[in-house]
Amino acid sequence: MIATAFSLLVPMETEEAQIARGLRGRDPEVLDALIEQYQHRLLRYLLHLTGNRAVAEDLFQETWLRVLEKGHLYDGRNRFVTWLMSIGHNVAIDYLRKRSPASLDEMKDPEEGTPFEPEASGPTPFDIAAEQQQHERFNAALEKVAPLFREVLVLRFQEQMKLEEIASLIRIPVATVKTRIYRGVAALRPLLQGGPQ
Amino acid sequence: MTAREHERALDLIMRRGTEEMATPESAWLNSHLSECSECANFAADFDSTGRLLQAVAVTASPRLVMATQARVRARAAELQERQSRTVLIAISFCIGAMSSTLSAWLWWRFGGWVAQRLALPPSIVEPGVFVAWMLPAVVIAVAMLASSHPVIDRSLTMRILEKQEGGRQ
Repeated sequence: MIATAFSLLVPMETEEAQIARGLRGRDPEVLDALIEQYQHRLLRYLLHLTGNRAVAEDLFQETWLRVLEKGHLYDGRNRFVTWLMSIGHNVAIDYLRKRSPASLDEMKDPEEGTPFEPEASGPTPFDIAAEQQQHERFNAALEKVAPLFREVLVLRFQEQMKLEEIASLIRIPVATVKTRIYRGVAALRPLLQGGPQ
Repeated sequence: MTAREHERALDLIMRRGTEEMATPESAWLNSHLSECSECANFAADFDSTGRLLQAVAVTASPRLVMATQARVRARAAELQERQSRTVLIAISFCIGAMSSTLSAWLWWRFGGWVAQRLALPPSIVEPGVFVAWMLPAVVIAVAMLASSHPVIDRSLTMRILEKQEGGRQ
């Protein structure tokens, strides 16, 4: 059993260790591969955090530049994606500090339409239309949720992160993570209860 | 039901799916949810939120990825260049400092000998000794300035981008 557990752990450690070595050496090939691999996840996180595609794309580039510069600080002990998201989080916070808005919602471009493209799938056209409508309503509702709550919901559901991982990423207590998730879900409750199922 | 039990139930609901749950805990949660409508409603809302959020698709464009890779490569080249120049400056400084330290006594003795032989006043000899003592450091500084080029090459990003585009075609 121990041998099985060890064999399961070794490939993960090796991959993270390889990433750490590549980042220490500022290997362009490693960075190119990482950008390719994590492009959608990082952009999705930044997009949910900022609510503005143009800003999210700028922060996306800035995040990778910071990964290059701070790469020697990644030791390969934790999952790379958690470290990457924490860099993205800090980049977004720095951006907000420079702009000094009252909240993240001020970054939202009112001219811009819904920034997310819902995946439409269903067996019948009616189902497709209903599902799409629900996604649109969900996106609209999600944009109204305070960014603090939106961020933890994205990390919990889209990135499938553990509560402790989210806490270490945002640097808040686990209890605060739970409170934010609870309040985020509560904020979406009217839609979830009133929307078509 | 106590507040502690509700708190435990919420904790387990939030951990469900990302963390392994022991069978007794899972059984306890199911039992609690069957009795507590408030926690059961939260569990249903929590699962619905998860399903809807996971269905939201966001994709990065190839243009964004390529531009990011080009910027990262250009920045990596800048950092590498800056690092190698820092090493060069450090080595040069050490050489200059060592040669100046080692030659200080010799230059002072030589200045004294010249002053004695030619009967020159200290106001002439001492500045001369100082200039001769500083000479290695001055020579190194001039040589480094002569061979230096801008640390940040503004056309580097464009060159890398063009190269990358050429490679993809």
